[in-house]
Amino acid sequence: MTIIRALATAGPSARVVATRLAAPRTSALLARRLISTSPCRHTVDPNVKRMEHSDHLPDPIAPRSPGVKTAMYSAADEPGKDFDPYKDGPSAIDKAVHLFFFTEIIRGMWIVMEQFFRPPYTIMYPFEKGPLSPRFRGEHALRRYPSGEERCIACKLCEAICPAQAITIESEARLDGSRRTTRYDIDMTKCIYCGFCQEACPVDAIVETQNQEFSTETREELMYNKEKLLSNGDAAEAEIAANLQGTHIPIASIV
Amino acid sequence: MTTSITEGGIQDAAAYCSDLVRKRDYDSFLISHFWPRGLREHFIALRAFYVELASVQEAVSNITIGKMRMQFWRDALKGIADGSPPRHPIALALGRVCQAANLQTYHLKRIIDARDAELDMPTHMTLDSLTSHAESTSSTFLYLQLSLLSLSASTSLSHAASHLGIAQGITTLLRALPYHASQGRMVIPAEITARHGVSQEEIFRKGGQARGFEDAVFEFAVVANDNLQTCREILKAENKNPGSARPVLLNAVPTRLYLERLEAANFNAFDPSLQVRGWKLPWRIWSSYYKGQF
Repeated sequence: MTIIRALATAGPSARVVATRLAAPRTSALLARRLISTSPCRHTVDPNVKRMEHSDHLPDPIAPRSPGVKTAMYSAADEPGKDFDPYKDGPSAIDKAVHLFFFTEIIRGMWIVMEQFFRPPYTIMYPFEKGPLSPRFRGEHALRRYPSGEERCIACKLCEAICPAQAITIESEARLDGSRRTTRYDIDMTKCIYCGFCQEACPVDAIVETQNQEFSTETREELMYNKEKLLSNGDAAEAEIAANLQGTHIPIASIV
Repeated sequence: MTTSITEGGIQDAAAYCSDLVRKRDYDSFLISHFWPRGLREHFIALRAFYVELASVQEAVSNITIGKMRMQFWRDALKGIADGSPPRHPIALALGRVCQAANLQTYHLKRIIDARDAELDMPTHMTLDSLTSHAESTSSTFLYLQLSLLSLSASTSLSHAASHLGIAQGITTLLRALPYHASQGRMVIPAEITARHGVSQEEIFRKGGQARGFEDAVFEFAVVANDNLQTCREILKAENKNPGSARPVLLNAVPTRLYLERLEAANFNAFDPSLQVRGWKLPWRIWSSYYKGQF
C-alpha cells in the first residue's frame, strides 16, 4: 500500500514542481534572445535592401542566429537542475521490484486458490485407471462369433507372421469338414506385442485386448493355452467390439 | 482389426455379410434393397467380399501381412471351387453364390490381384495406371453383378459397366482424399498434380488451401464425369429401358450425387460438407430405380 501511495504522490507532483520552477527561467531566456537578435533582423530586411540596390538580386536571407550566448550554454544553465524530485524516495528499480514481485505473489496465490477448488489430478491407481488408446495392445484373447462358435479357423497366419515365434498351433479336421485348433499356445514371455497376429488374422479371431495387468507369480502361468485365451475373449468381448467400432473407417471412404 | 460385426457367424453367414455391408458401405446397402429378392443375398455376399479385400490395406501395418491375407483369399477361392470353403462367413456366403450363380472365378481373382498390387503401389503416377486399377476392382465388381443377373453376354452393358466402374473408382478416391491425405498418401495421380504445380506436402499440411489443388481435383473429377457420361451414352444408344440391369446401374447414383456435391463445394475435396453422407441419396436411388434414369 505504501508503495502505491508513494508512487501516486511522488510521481506526478514532482513533475509539476519541476515544470513550475523551469517556466520563469525559460521565458527570461527567450526575452534575452529576442533583444539580442532584433538588430540583426533589421539589417537583413529584404525590402530595405531592394530599394537601395535594384540592379542585382537581393542577398539571400541570413539564417537567424539565436545569439552569441547560446553557443556557450553549459550544463549549469539547464532548467531545474538543482531540483531532484526522487532524492528522498525509493529508486526506480526498488519500486519496479516491489510492484512486479508483489503481483507475482498475488498471481501465484490465485493459481493455488483455483487448484484448491478443482478436482485432484491424482488417480487411485488400482481402482481408477487412466485413459488407454483403443488401439492399445495388451493381453491376447481369442474371440467367438455372436453364436458362440470359435472364430479361429486354424489358418496359422498368426503363427507364420509372429516375429518372436511365440505362437504354436496344432490343428485337425473335424467330422463336419472344418479345421479347428487342438492347441493354440502363446508364450507371453516371448511376445513383443507388435500386433501382427491380429493384423494377419482373416477372421479377427486373435486380438490384443486392453488388459495390461496380467502379471503372475510363476513363469508357467504366462504360457497361455487355448482355454485361457478363449476365456480372455469371453471376458473382454464387449470391450473389444467397442474398440473396433472406435477405430473403424467406413469402407466407402477407403476403397 | 477390420470388422466390428455384431451379427451372424458361421451359421448365419448372410446376416454377417449384411451387417458388414451396412456398417462399412452404406451406399451399397441401400442399393442392395433394389435387387431381386432371391439375388439380394448374393449381391451382399459379393459386396462383403469386395469390402473385406478393400479394407485389408488399412488393416495391416506392413505389406507382408497384407500379402498373406490376399493369399488366404486366393486359397479360399480354390477351396470354394473344390467345395470346401474355409470357415469364414464371407467365404461361406461366397461359396453359396458360386454354387447358385454362374460366376467367372477369374473376376474374383482379378479383384484379389488388383488389391494385392495396390499394397505395393498405393499411389499412381499416371491416370492410365489408375484407370486400369479401377477397371480391375470397381468395373470387375460390376461385371460380377452383371453375371449374377445373367446379363454378362451383353457387350454394351459390359462396356457401360467398365466406364461406370472407372467413374466409381475415381469418385471413391476423391471422397477418401482427406483420409488418405491424413495418412500421407496422394490419391490424385502425379501426372495431374504435376500439371497444376501442386506440391503434395502442401496438401498434407494445408489441406484445401494448397495452391492449384482445386484445379487438380477438377481435372480428376472431370475424368470421372466423362466416364459417367460415356456410360450413359452407351446405354442411350443401345436401349431406352435398361430393364433388368437397373440394380447394377444404380451404382452410378452415389457417384453422380458425389460429383454434384463436389461441384457445389467448388472442387474443394476437403470441404466438410462432403464428409457427411448426402441426405438425398436414398431418395435419389429410389427415384432412379423407378424412372430408369441413371
